[in-house]
Amino acid sequence: MTRPRRSLFFKYFITLFVAVVVPLVLGAITEAWFAFRDNRLYLNEILQVEARSAADRIQAFTDGIRDQLGWVVQFPWTEGEDDRRRIDGLRLLQQVPAVVSLSMIDPSGIERVFVSRVSMNRAGRGSDMSADPPVAGARANRVWYGPVHYRRDSEPYMQIAVAGNRAAAGVVVADINLKLIWDIIAAIKIGDTGHALVLDDAGRLIAHPDISLVLRSGAGAGDLSRLKSSVSEANGSAVSTTGEDGKSVVALAVRAPNVGWTVIAEQPVLEAYESIRAALWRSVILIFIGIVFSLVLAYWRACRMWGPIRQLEKGVERIGMGQFDHRITIQSRDELEQLAARFNQMAEELGTSQQKSERINRLKQFLAPQVAELVEHSDPRLLDGQRREVVAIFGDLRGFTAFSARAEPDAVMAVLRQYYEAIGAVTARHEATLIRFAGDGVMVLVNAPVTCESPADRGVRLAIDMQAAVQSLAGTWSAGGSAIGFGVGVATGAATVGTLGYQGRLDYTAIGSVVNLASRLCSLAGDGQVLLDSAVRERVGNGFALSSIGERPIKGYDRALEIFAVNGRNMSASGLGPAGDSSLERPRQGLALAETT
Amino acid sequence: MKRRDFIALMGAALACPAAALAQNQARVYRIYWLSTQAQPDPFLDGFREGLRAKGYVEGRNVVLELHYAIGNPQALREVASELRRGKVDLAVSSGPATRAMTAVAEVPVLFALSGDPVELGLVKSLGEPGGNFTGSTFLSLDLAGKRVELLKEVLPNLRKLAVFSNANHPGEQSEWRATREAAQKLGVEPIYVPFSGASEFDSPLEKVGQVHADALLVFPDVLTMVHRAKIADFAMAHRLPSMFGWSEYCDAGGLLSYGANQRATYFWLATYADRILRGEKPADLPVFQPTRFELVVNLRTAQRLGIDLDKSSILFRANRVIE
Repeated sequence: MTRPRRSLFFKYFITLFVAVVVPLVLGAITEAWFAFRDNRLYLNEILQVEARSAADRIQAFTDGIRDQLGWVVQFPWTEGEDDRRRIDGLRLLQQVPAVVSLSMIDPSGIERVFVSRVSMNRAGRGSDMSADPPVAGARANRVWYGPVHYRRDSEPYMQIAVAGNRAAAGVVVADINLKLIWDIIAAIKIGDTGHALVLDDAGRLIAHPDISLVLRSGAGAGDLSRLKSSVSEANGSAVSTTGEDGKSVVALAVRAPNVGWTVIAEQPVLEAYESIRAALWRSVILIFIGIVFSLVLAYWRACRMWGPIRQLEKGVERIGMGQFDHRITIQSRDELEQLAARFNQMAEELGTSQQKSERINRLKQFLAPQVAELVEHSDPRLLDGQRREVVAIFGDLRGFTAFSARAEPDAVMAVLRQYYEAIGAVTARHEATLIRFAGDGVMVLVNAPVTCESPADRGVRLAIDMQAAVQSLAGTWSAGGSAIGFGVGVATGAATVGTLGYQGRLDYTAIGSVVNLASRLCSLAGDGQVLLDSAVRERVGNGFALSSIGERPIKGYDRALEIFAVNGRNMSASGLGPAGDSSLERPRQGLALAETT
Repeated sequence: MKRRDFIALMGAALACPAAALAQNQARVYRIYWLSTQAQPDPFLDGFREGLRAKGYVEGRNVVLELHYAIGNPQALREVASELRRGKVDLAVSSGPATRAMTAVAEVPVLFALSGDPVELGLVKSLGEPGGNFTGSTFLSLDLAGKRVELLKEVLPNLRKLAVFSNANHPGEQSEWRATREAAQKLGVEPIYVPFSGASEFDSPLEKVGQVHADALLVFPDVLTMVHRAKIADFAMAHRLPSMFGWSEYCDAGGLLSYGANQRATYFWLATYADRILRGEKPADLPVFQPTRFELVVNLRTAQRLGIDLDKSSILFRANRVIE
């Protein structure tokens, strides 16, 4: 038998496994997606707030400087007030740490006062600065913000120029050290390592928490320009990009309007998504546990299903092969156990019915079918050995040996077949037991194994009928040119009856002197004669017309026994004397095999 | 875009980023401290303070090897060659000792200079040093003129100015040149009184007393720093108003000082030391310049010298007034 291509085990296993894992994975992914979205919105907000606050503070920084400078150019210039202006300038330096030096320019564009923290101060008429961009710019727009430049390739500086309300108030130009914005930028912390940085339009770094990056002036401008353009494109919402240090960051840009700088707030991706990464890891661990759990569960469940089914299959196979004593043992306390119990029951019933039919077949070999049924349905010990009063009937053909030597085998077999059919029919009719036949001899028992009333009567009747049946056949055989006769001997007495033999070949038989006696009587009987012993005669009483043919010596008996012949009905018509008719051969050994001497 | 981010993030999350916890806590760093002066060393104190603030504990994860070669260039060279052999993580030099280190290329060197490191050939540019040297410069050259100007503001009648200077100090000549130019602009006659090394300290100082100057200008230098009290006492004894580079001189009794805060500079130098020990290259660490300069006035000294500062603009400009 071929194994199925897809085992039930795998079907169960896969189904259970998938049933647990798929919802788990789907749930985790959905959860992660929503967590990611919320995290993203939150991150956007945080970066927005921080960048805006940095931009505002930078605005406040430049606005503060602008306001302080405006205070210096409130009054119109008059002659001889250079010293007072110088004091104003020095006080301004004191007020605003970011201002490194200050030039005050009179309405005609001449520098009148220069004060500095580092260089030497100057007072009095200096150079004409009216054409310088700061002065021109401030005169045009009141406030002028210069481009960022690096001093000695390192320190970021810019100029701010402010003109007074009236042209007569002149212009003040201040050098601003932008390193001081560091204080503002360094104070901004987004998460643990997130920070803000400030770039000018050209993508140069103005402020960064790591001041050494700023002091490197133009270095890394390419990276910064790229960062700036990619972040600015997003128009104020956070994007994932590569930061200035080459790491992945989430960044957001806002503009500081008056100076035109870009403030970028950024946080490393790893940190920004830390919480959802943790959530993802939790999900992964949960999925893993789920997978292991479902593996174990699915394996266990599939085994519990698959094992009993295999057992059932094997059991059924063995029962099918005839091993009815095989029992399927399943203890699953469910329908499978019940199914196994049903199979066991079936096997048991099959076994019983097979035994029964075997027994009946065996019985039918030597019992009439109805007797066999009777035996089968009554006490099974009926066939056991026991001592019993039985009637033994022996019969054999006369002149058969000569016939069989002469006739064709077909003819011999045809004669025997008719003979046995006739004997069988008579035996069955009288519910007697056909013990055996060998050649032309038959042995029949009455009252064993099934008891009956007045067995002797029945035995005699049976013998008479048997004689009549064979005689009517013998007529047709004689017509064929063969003289075949039939003799019967009947005796009754105690005998041991029971089954005898070995495995596969069992016979029901009777052992005792009564059997020998019947056999001897048969030998003595001539064609058409039925001989009885005295015991039979006593039993049948006057039911039949019997006549004594005198005492005869019988082999195995000390003295001669009186023997009777049946005269009843048509018996006498044959007219054959018991010892007459020498034309017929003497009885042979016949059923000598049953003889016990 | 967002979906792509999400998928990338999931991938990144599952890739399990190995946290950068590689910092070897068990490692003990050796820092070589080289100076031409002797202890007590005020700069070393500032540096140690900075290291402590960065979480270093001397003896546990950092060892400072102190080498002082006082005024002996030969000894300095020997120290430098020893440095090239030894297993040192970082060298820190101050003042003239830096000049002896120029030959060292094997270990990172941090310096604190009043001169110009580009001019000295230590670095390619301030923004990108490019070699194994980086550190801090004090802008002394600019401030040299500023100091004369401030002194002149306090003493409008200043005519003769004694300039006391350590000739072994790197860039000292440029500083003297800047001072001379400023003095000339302000109509002041500078009198140069140099000394070289600690052994030749006292007699040049006596010489200052003999030049009949109106005031004393002392160039900032480790040696004058160590002997600041002596110099301040000397100036007081000779009734000389004095001008110095760093505030510590004023605390010792000097009249005025203008310059960057030394302690802050060395404190900050320790942060560079930390970054170099963590693996950053000195070539990428720009030379730092001070942003804030402090003007300190010792009003007590002024009163003892009979100088009335109330009418001067100096007091409101001072970052600190010692009363």
